[in-house]
Amino acid sequence: MRRKMLSVAALAGGAALVLAGCSGGGGGDSTETLTVLIGTSGDAETAAVTAAADAWSAESGVDVEVKVAANLTEELATGFAGDDPPDLFYMSWDQFQTYAGNGYLESYGDDLPNAGDFYPTFRDEYTFDGEFVCAPKDFSTLGLIINTDMWAEAGLTDADIPTDWESLTAAATALTTPEHVGLSFGQEYARIGVFMAQAGGSIVDGDEIVADSPENLEGLEYVKSLYDAGVLRFPAEIDAGWGGEALGAGKAAMVIEGPWIKGIEGDFPDTNYASYELPAGPGGPATFSFTNCWGIPEGSPTAEDTVSLVEFLTSDDQQVEFANAYGVLPSSEAAAQTYADSNAAIAGFVAGADYAVTPVAFDGAAAVTSEFNARLADFATADFASILADFQAQLEAAYADAQ
Amino acid sequence: MSVTQLPGRFRLTPRAMTGLLAGYLILILLALIYIYPFLIAVAGSFKTDADASQNPLSLLPQTWSFAAYERLFTDVPLLQWTGNSVLVTICITAGRVFFDSLAGYALSRLRFPGRNVIFASLIAIMAVPPVALLIPRFLVLKQFEMFDTYAGMIIPIMIDAAGIFIMKQFFESIPVSVEEAARIDGAGVFRTFWSIVLPMARPALITLFILSFQGSWNEFSYFLIARQDADLHTLTTGVATLTNGQLGQGNQFPLKLAAAVLMSIPVAVLFFIFQKRIMSTSEGAEKG
Amino acid sequence: MVRNNIRGGEARAGWLFTAPAVIIIGVFLVLPIFLAVFVSFSDWNGRGSPLGNAELIGTDNYAAVLTEEGLSQRDFGTAIRNNLYYVLGVVPLQTALALFLAVQVNRRILKGRGFFRTAFYFPSVTSSIAITTIFIFLFAGSGAVNGIISWFGVDGPNWFADPSGVGHKILGVFGVGAAGPLADGGMLGLSWYDWLSGPSVAMCVLIILAVFTTSGTFMLLFLAALQNVSQEVQEAAAIDGAGPFRTFFSVTLPLLKPTLFTVLTLGLIGTWQVFDQVYLAGGGDPGKTTLTPAYLAYQASFENLDWGEGTAISFLLFLIIVTFTLIQRWVLRDRDAGRSGLRREKRAVQRLRADAEAAKLGGNADAGRGIVR
Repeated sequence: MRRKMLSVAALAGGAALVLAGCSGGGGGDSTETLTVLIGTSGDAETAAVTAAADAWSAESGVDVEVKVAANLTEELATGFAGDDPPDLFYMSWDQFQTYAGNGYLESYGDDLPNAGDFYPTFRDEYTFDGEFVCAPKDFSTLGLIINTDMWAEAGLTDADIPTDWESLTAAATALTTPEHVGLSFGQEYARIGVFMAQAGGSIVDGDEIVADSPENLEGLEYVKSLYDAGVLRFPAEIDAGWGGEALGAGKAAMVIEGPWIKGIEGDFPDTNYASYELPAGPGGPATFSFTNCWGIPEGSPTAEDTVSLVEFLTSDDQQVEFANAYGVLPSSEAAAQTYADSNAAIAGFVAGADYAVTPVAFDGAAAVTSEFNARLADFATADFASILADFQAQLEAAYADAQ
Repeated sequence: MSVTQLPGRFRLTPRAMTGLLAGYLILILLALIYIYPFLIAVAGSFKTDADASQNPLSLLPQTWSFAAYERLFTDVPLLQWTGNSVLVTICITAGRVFFDSLAGYALSRLRFPGRNVIFASLIAIMAVPPVALLIPRFLVLKQFEMFDTYAGMIIPIMIDAAGIFIMKQFFESIPVSVEEAARIDGAGVFRTFWSIVLPMARPALITLFILSFQGSWNEFSYFLIARQDADLHTLTTGVATLTNGQLGQGNQFPLKLAAAVLMSIPVAVLFFIFQKRIMSTSEGAEKG
Repeated sequence: MVRNNIRGGEARAGWLFTAPAVIIIGVFLVLPIFLAVFVSFSDWNGRGSPLGNAELIGTDNYAAVLTEEGLSQRDFGTAIRNNLYYVLGVVPLQTALALFLAVQVNRRILKGRGFFRTAFYFPSVTSSIAITTIFIFLFAGSGAVNGIISWFGVDGPNWFADPSGVGHKILGVFGVGAAGPLADGGMLGLSWYDWLSGPSVAMCVLIILAVFTTSGTFMLLFLAALQNVSQEVQEAAAIDGAGPFRTFFSVTLPLLKPTLFTVLTLGLIGTWQVFDQVYLAGGGDPGKTTLTPAYLAYQASFENLDWGEGTAISFLLFLIIVTFTLIQRWVLRDRDAGRSGLRREKRAVQRLRADAEAAKLGGNADAGRGIVR
């Protein structure tokens, strides 16, 4: 009887120990393997990054494992909270300030031999407290992407390609039919904001928040006019997950997306499209540029090897390879020029880099932006004046907190 | 419920008859509404992407396509998710059945100091809502370095207060005489429990088994915060990524429907086998 | 002597048997509560252990969520408002539906009772993820539900993408708009107009989903209670001439009060915890109208890395739910439903018997029951 109790207890204890030993991920391997966590736009990107990592592995002799995140933000947060973050990861522009501000990131930018190759704007974007924290890995701008078949069907020609708001409205109207809508883009600041910028508005001016301005209001009103005319519908309303899907599935004739639109060729191989610069608004041409950087956790024991990997991944040759594979634009000026020269299709995106602005992104701005997006959700009845006023107030509060 | 015969012969008035028919019709309509989503899901999983989007209502696919199921086993690591779910469910269910009955027996039959305190705390703990504990549990897992491990997914929910309560209530209904006899014969406490009382508790054990299996197979929020490695996905968290994560780009409805159907099969099988028991004992099990 | 040995062995066995339960529940259920309370009063930023790397900052996190004007307070108010409408939508519907189904399935003359019970209970057995996935398909813009609605000539809304509130639509009929008299004031960062928004169309889908999955479970509870309602009582009521409706409302329903109360409270406790469906349906989309406190806590912690706020929201949610649970415990314990229920039943039977005697002496009791001889 007592023996039985003891044996049962021993069994249970042993089982617990064994289970505790079976850790699911990144335990403590004796041979070093670098883990790279990426958020992918499709198979092309995953394959390209894996190939690059393998090439560096062969050279350096250090193993690299590339993992694709189902939900990058969430997995990074739990990784950091579990004291087990990946050795290298995509750090997105909107989370960068939050992570850097909380001391999550290792500042290695100044140590990179090729630090001077990057576009100055991007270097500034990833500088925190005077230190160049992480290397920008690529950039993208938003362009106008047109379904060439639908364009021809509507009887439009090259002369009709929108270069200002009027021609955009005209083109969208001509392209709207009962089967598909003329224009579609995400119902969020990251898309609607370009119109605000094109009207001449901005969000941050030096140290001041200027979100609540007549120019921004004008931009919102213009989008509303397109919506009311029935030539603009947001992807969710036409049963698409994002602009690219709306374009590929033939639900919208024009969409506003970035060079990652290339990724739809896998799912929608029959859709033919061409990309152009966004039309200019009353305030001039404007588009958004999005970048990501290669993030290394603060105090990472593998930092030395990882920095060497980053140097490889951001080299001009490698960046051009990535660009050719899945369409993002290289973050180093020379590489971007090489890519643009050989690739007319993305000329519109690269040209945008000259006048692109980065969307607002200081620590805490992400939450305010998602509140802004939430207020825009009920687009038909949204009161833009009060939305902008609240946006201003909340941004000011977040900005004050971030100082 | 006994059916008493009314005295004398009778037949129903037309009004009562129509009332009865109306009742039947309403019930049949409601039953259809309850069953139809599952039928549509099964049908949809055999359609092509375009067919599912354009003809969502039809129960017969225009062209039968197994593409969704193929993708489910090749592109999507469904087998790995299933393996994890099976492992976790078996461990949790075994743990609950064993440890809950152990503790329930002790609380109902054995006299030891602190017994009332433990029982009172048990009642109090049953009031704690699991969802409010999501983040706190994550913090504790991190503290004990059990985050992102199988142990972290299994051990914390391996014993549940409600199960102990159920077993305790049941043990109290077993006559003490049998145990007394065994004890006086010299059998130790554990031997009495294991060989004599436990076999008599089969109905409650089966109930506990069913509830635990269902609960751990369908558990989502806890596994969401207890792990982050893609290798540790269970069916619930994995299928969630089909809708929410990178894999969920695009309206690949047949794929998602096929996943939903497949993950429901084990609990459905369990349900149909133990139908009578589930439906007659769940009333007793809901003790808030 | 033998008894002493047994007693001593008992105590040891008692501790040993309950030890695993005490340890595991203590460590993984009780300890988290204390750790969460600690973090909610601290400024932990998510790296390293909270016990070492955080300082106590008092009630700042609670203030940010409850009293200070700002985004956190507004989000919390939005979450509470959404969950409130969810509760108001789900609990009455699921209770009424469960009761209705139980009464129908319980009828003597019904054939196929087993089939109906199975059909109504089956959704409760499947996982929330599977059901939500299926519902996302059914309620897509051009999905099955809109297909059925179109048979009636109505254009269905784009369910999961529609953030407009039902309440706002009703208010709109009366000419009260966003800039109207209710635009000022309010609490928790939302104006009174915002509070009266009602559930959004997307939230309505979640409400339907909840009723779909839980009505079966509660139907079983009601069935069990109905089967305990003594046959005599129903017979007596029938003899007295009470039609089925009268019998139900005046006789059966009062006897079901304890179960009714249990179902209502279980419903309340359950609906305040909704998380899985919100996570899968987009985490607050569209326009934060499906945001609930449970999901908000998760979002604040895991996405905004604001662990102090996340745990503060978790603890506030905990207080709300535990309050309901305690109310249920208190009311049920005092009522002592079993004994007083039986007493009432006895009295009802006596009264009905007396009435029946009186009726027999003058009047045709059978006609009221639809019986023709």
